Order: sequence, then C-alpha cells, then structure tokens
Amino acid sequence: MAKIERSQKLFLDALKEKFEGQDPESVKTTFYNFGGLKQSPRKREFMKAARGIEMERGISMYDPEHCHLGGLPMGQRQLMTYEVSTTGVFVEGDDLHFVNNAAMQQFWDDIRRTVVVGMDLAHATLQKRLGKEVTPETINEYLHILNHAMPGAAVVQEHMVETHPGLVDDCYCKVFTGDDAMADDIEPQFLINIDKLFPAEQAEALKAQVGKSMYQAIHIPTIVSRTCDGGTTSRWSAMQIGMSFIAAYRMCAGEAAVADLSFAAKHAGVSQMASILPARRARGPNEPGGIKFGVFSDIIQANRKYPNDPARASLEVVGAGTMLFDQIWLGSYMSGGVGFTQYATAAYTDNILDEYTYYGMDYLKDKYGFDYSNPDPATTVAPTQDVVNDLATEVNLNAMEQYEGYPTMMEDHFGGSQRAGVMAAACGLTCSIGTGNSNAGLNGWYLSMLMHKEGWSRLGFFGYDLQDQCGSANSLSMEPDRGLMGELRGPNYPNYAMNVGHQGEYAAIVGGAHYGRGDAFCFDPLIKICFADPSLKFDFAEPRREFAKGAIREFKPAGERSLIIPAR
Amino acid sequence: MAYKPQYGPGTSVVAENRRRQMNPDIELEKVRDVTDEDVVLILGHRAPGSAYPTAHPPLAEQQEPDCPIRKIVEATPGAKAGDRVRYIQFVDSMYNGPSQPYQRTYTECYRFRGIDPGTLSGRQIVECRERDLEGYAKWLIETEMFEPALTSIRGATVHGHSLRLAEDGLMFDMLQRCVVGDEGVVTYVKDQIGEPLDRAVSLGKPLDDTWVKAHTTIFHSLVGSSYRDDEEYIEYIVRIHSLRTKYGFMPVEE
Repeated sequence: MAKIERSQKLFLDALKEKFEGQDPESVKTTFYNFGGLKQSPRKREFMKAARGIEMERGISMYDPEHCHLGGLPMGQRQLMTYEVSTTGVFVEGDDLHFVNNAAMQQFWDDIRRTVVVGMDLAHATLQKRLGKEVTPETINEYLHILNHAMPGAAVVQEHMVETHPGLVDDCYCKVFTGDDAMADDIEPQFLINIDKLFPAEQAEALKAQVGKSMYQAIHIPTIVSRTCDGGTTSRWSAMQIGMSFIAAYRMCAGEAAVADLSFAAKHAGVSQMASILPARRARGPNEPGGIKFGVFSDIIQANRKYPNDPARASLEVVGAGTMLFDQIWLGSYMSGGVGFTQYATAAYTDNILDEYTYYGMDYLKDKYGFDYSNPDPATTVAPTQDVVNDLATEVNLNAMEQYEGYPTMMEDHFGGSQRAGVMAAACGLTCSIGTGNSNAGLNGWYLSMLMHKEGWSRLGFFGYDLQDQCGSANSLSMEPDRGLMGELRGPNYPNYAMNVGHQGEYAAIVGGAHYGRGDAFCFDPLIKICFADPSLKFDFAEPRREFAKGAIREFKPAGERSLIIPAR
Repeated sequence: MAYKPQYGPGTSVVAENRRRQMNPDIELEKVRDVTDEDVVLILGHRAPGSAYPTAHPPLAEQQEPDCPIRKIVEATPGAKAGDRVRYIQFVDSMYNGPSQPYQRTYTECYRFRGIDPGTLSGRQIVECRERDLEGYAKWLIETEMFEPALTSIRGATVHGHSLRLAEDGLMFDMLQRCVVGDEGVVTYVKDQIGEPLDRAVSLGKPLDDTWVKAHTTIFHSLVGSSYRDDEEYIEYIVRIHSLRTKYGFMPVEE
C-alpha cells in the first residue's frame, strides 16, 4: 500500500451544497438552531397533508412533533438534502423512500413482471408434431396476436371479459435472436435489435451465445404483478402464449399438443429473473430474494452504455441493488419501516462511494498499470491474496482518511453501517474490477470490514458482527454449504440473508469483475439482452438518474388507475 | 503453558491505550469522583434510596439444583440478590473519545463479570444485574474511560458519535441531556433515556486536547493518530484476514 495523490474530490460539490457556507473540513459547528422538523419542506408538506387526511377520515396520522420519542424534538441538527450521485439532482431524503418514488417502484415492477421464454421448443412442437409451417411471417403474426393477448385480451373464445388497454399499456412482448437473417425478417416493432443496442464487441459476443435460437422477452402488466406477485409472471405469460399459439397456428384448442406448448412456456423454456425461496423466507419465483447477483448485474445495463468505465457501470449496480435489496427486499418484504432507506442511499448519494471507487481505479493504474478505461481480460491483475490485500488496504485507508479529513462527510454518513458498506464496496469493486474475479472482490470487502472495525473500534449494527467478521473465511470457498462463486450467490445466500447494506454492493462487485474485463454479460446473456429494450418503462442503463427523476416527481410509471377511479 | 492475553497489536499510542484499558492488571487513572446517588440518577432505573426491584427470590432462598457449574462460578452480588437486568449505554465521539464501542466491550469482558455487552457503531450497551451495573457504571464514569464532552450516557438518539462537535466542544445530543455550565462544568440535566432529573449531576470540566489525544483509543488522521502510521497494526489485520481466507477456502493443514 502507498497513498497516491488524487486532487479531484467528487464529493466536495455535494458537501458544499448540503452544508452551505460551512467549512467542510471544520470539526466544529452549531446545533439546536435549525427549527426542528420545519426546516424541511418535505416534512412540512407531510404534516399539512396529514392534517387534511385526519379531517377526512377522523383517525389520527402523521404527527412527528408529538410522536417522535414521546414528543422529543427531531431536527436539532441540519436535515440534509442528498445529491443522487452523478446526476447533479439534490433531493430530500424522504424522496428516496420507495413509497415516495415512482421510479423505484417501476424499477422493481419491471423486473418482477418479466420472464424470458424460449421459442425453440414450441416451434419444434408445431413443426414436428403438428406439421405446421413456422416462417418469419407466422412468427410475426404470432407476435401480433401475443401483443394483443398478453395485456389481457381474448383470442379464442367469444364473449370474454378483457382488460382496458389504458391500464395495461406497459405490457408487451418482443423477441431476439443471434441469427442476423432471421432478425432481419422480424418486424422492427417486435425485435430487440442487439446490433443497435450494444457496442459491436458486446453484440457479437451476445449473438454468439444466443445462436440461432429465438427468445421472447415478456413483460406482463405492472398492475397484474402488483396485484398478484412475481410468481404470477410466468403463469400469466404462459397462458397468453399458449392461447396465442392456438390462434396464430390454427390449432385445436383442446388437443394434447397445447400441453407441450404450455409446459415449454411455463417451465421448460422459461427463464425467471429469480428463483424460489425456502420456507423461512417463502416467496415464489421473480421475487427479490431469489435474484442471483450475476443476474442482477445483467439486468443493469450501464456497462452497455459505459463500456469503458467499469467503475461507473458498477456504481449504477450499487445504486439499483441497494434500492432493491435494502430498501424493498430487506426493508419491506423482510422487515418494515424506514431505516433501511437511510442505509441504502448512502451508497448512491453525494458521490462519496464514487470518489472512493475512482481512487481505487487510480491506484490500480498507478501501481499495477491496469487501465480501467480500456477493459480487457488480458490486462487484469492476477487475483492473488497479496494483490487483494494491497488493493483493499489502500482503498480502505484512503476512505477512512477522507471521512476523517472532511468532518461534514462523516456527518453525512452519520451511521457506521453506512460508512462500512460504502468503504467495503469501494474495496470490493477495486478488487473485482482490477482482477476480473468476483470472489477476489468479495474477499476485498471483508478485509475492509476487519480494517474498519479495528481502526475506529466500531463497525455497523449488530448484524455486522456476524456477516462481516466471518466473511473472510467464506469469500473464496466453493464447497457446498461453505461457498459459491460470486455470480451464483444472491440475497438468500446463507451468510448474506440478514444484513442491510451489503447485497446491492455484492451484486456490483460481481458485475464489476465482468465490466473490468469488458465482458458482454456477467451470467445470463438472455437477461442482458432483455433489459436493453428501450420500450421498458424504466431505463436500466441509468438507474440512479431514473431514481432522481422519481424523487423530483418527473418519472412516469405504469400501473395507472385513474381510468377506473373517480377524478380527484 | 498458561494462556497470556496479548490484548492486540500496534506500536501507536492508540494501540497502547487499548491494551491499557483491556488489561485488568492495570489500574486505570481515576479522573473524577461521582457519588453512588449520581450514578443512580443518570441511569434512571430506580429512585435513589429505593430498594432494588427483583426478578426472582435471592438464590439462597431458592432450591438450587446440584450443578457443578454453579459450584465453579460464583454468582455476582446482583445475581445472588435476584436483581433485574438493567443497562448503561455509552456514546463515544469519534473525535478522540477515550473509549470506543468495541474497545468498551473488550475492556468490560476482561474486567467485569456477569455482563452482556452489545456493540454497534454509535453506541455500546452493557446489561447486567442492577447492583452490579451501578458498580461497573461508577468505574466507567470515574476513570479515564470517560471524558465529559466526548463521552455520553444515552439510552437512545446516539448519532452524535460521528457528528462535528458543538461550539462548546460537546458531542451533539438531540436531547441535550447535558449542558456546559457557567464554570465550564458538564452537567447532566436528564437521565440516560432523556427524562429530566430532579437534581442536576455534574461530571466535571472537559479535559484538554492534550489529554484526550494522549488517552484516546480511536485512530483519526485529522485530530489524533493516523491509522496508516501504525504499520504493525495494519500488518496483523491483513495477516488475520489472509489466514481466515486460506482456511475457509481449504480447511486443511498443508
């Protein structure tokens, strides 16, 4: 380890905006003169709204000045705004709670309502068993019918109830293939065009993986997956796929071959975004706890948009991952309330993690000659224990020194869990991007945790006592019940299942290993291609920007119900 | 060969202070005096002079099973009397507070009996039988484990630990449990959970920068000792991490 000079401090602008007129390097300040909760426009809005609701329903509601710790005052120090990292958009912390942020909701909706379904099995059934001809023309016709049926419309029986298109306008199906000739024959409205959406090298690699097969990227209506759950997606999709095949290929509605098509659409040919969970966290498929980190890194598309900046690509995964896994999964599916948002936002606000990570990139370049702006598997550093130790030690010490040198930044990340997650993420990302090895990245994470704990004699909340102090021992293990490669770990991995402030960062560490190599995908090329689709409501290449849009109330989500409720 | 605790690596003053606090053979400097009643008031668990509420009858009045462990481990006075389990919780400023969360836990484990410590980033709690607690709390307040401006006794709202200090040098406390009086003396006007006290409790003047820097157990490159400069400390952490990694990956001797 050897400290390097880095004159640019990415967090300084945010600190100057947040702590206006104050010296960000001063150890002292004034407190108790901020006007309590009323210093925050959002809190004032909440209080005003609550008074109206109380009058209307006759039941008391939001009353922080009375209810917070028995009437004891909140807001004795500055209630800060936050810059969503890299966006230049400053928001109130409240606007980053997923309940208050339509973009965050849509991010998860778009994942939960998606499955990828192969067409090869169905086409084989049609051709070999039923003797039907399958051509580009029949496929286009089938897709036309499917985009009628998937939102909830009938195709075979008459006199059926149907859904209002205005309520399910986000529902559609497109296809993709690695066969250029076949792709040329698919109507552009139905095609995810790999060549157009990905950089040339990534496109070639992805098409090679897909080959001549064809896959459907299915997105059922947001309003359906919200009313039901993630397990609904493949079932809803399979039903409409089966009916569309019947209609498109003039099949008998009751013949046994329909069962083959259904089985293919429901089971044999479907890729879920997430696997089912065991009883203690019981959820069906397509729920957050079952998303493998490798899959999640493929869902996020930032490496497609920023192929020469693996740090940026990874940081987008951090933002998306902490939002989904901390705020929604652990923070609401598995727990409840508000605290988890405060943990998660630390990793994607005020450019603090960004600064620490780019310090790691500079260190990689300075000491190991690894040019992160030209990702290439041939230039990654061999993932030895010494290399991981060196990278994680230096990046962690630098992060601690930055917090120490800028007391306003320490105040920004006022909780130890926030600091622990951010510092360890920077270490893990540096190790994974630099070595191209996800497990090396995870190993760097745990050295950071030990070093942080010893340096400041504190770490995060109780959970860190378990996960982060025994993590060294499982980070490289591949033996069953002990370990797994990073790509296949996930929020339900035994040692990762209980602790906020980790899972999103782990996902990014896994992604970083591939972004640092310039890989086209991390784990599943089909999912990578599926979420490149610009027709999705949420732009998965820019999750942090989308969250910022949600925070300032400029994001337009799906799931609109105003068509069927009284005007307000 | 008898086990000899090493208490931790490091060549810095921080490392040495950590070893001093942990080592029960070392008598820590007594910096201030507080009365038993002062301690009871700050803790806020019972009124001064009132009897200790009990969770069970005294052990001597119970039919204790014939248990070899009970013969080896003598019950603490609080356990013998059947006291409730209560707590004291500290918040330690990262700006050279004399003790810090894990450091407190390690120290208490070496020096106290019958305790249940909990360690978080902003606070450290120790729970035990009430009369034992009062004795331990007195020691924790009177010795160099405590500094009036940089150490705080709080049951809730602990985020002062990482915040800048107030202009008067005190760590931020949302509930302002203590204030600096006219003579510069730090005085508790609320108990640890934030209930106003009938009588204020004085814990003396804040100690000067030289003292806190010489007695702190946290590294801090801006106001104290740089972690990076204690190379031995860093080396040991890396060694521990490497060994854990190695034996987790391949848990056999080569």
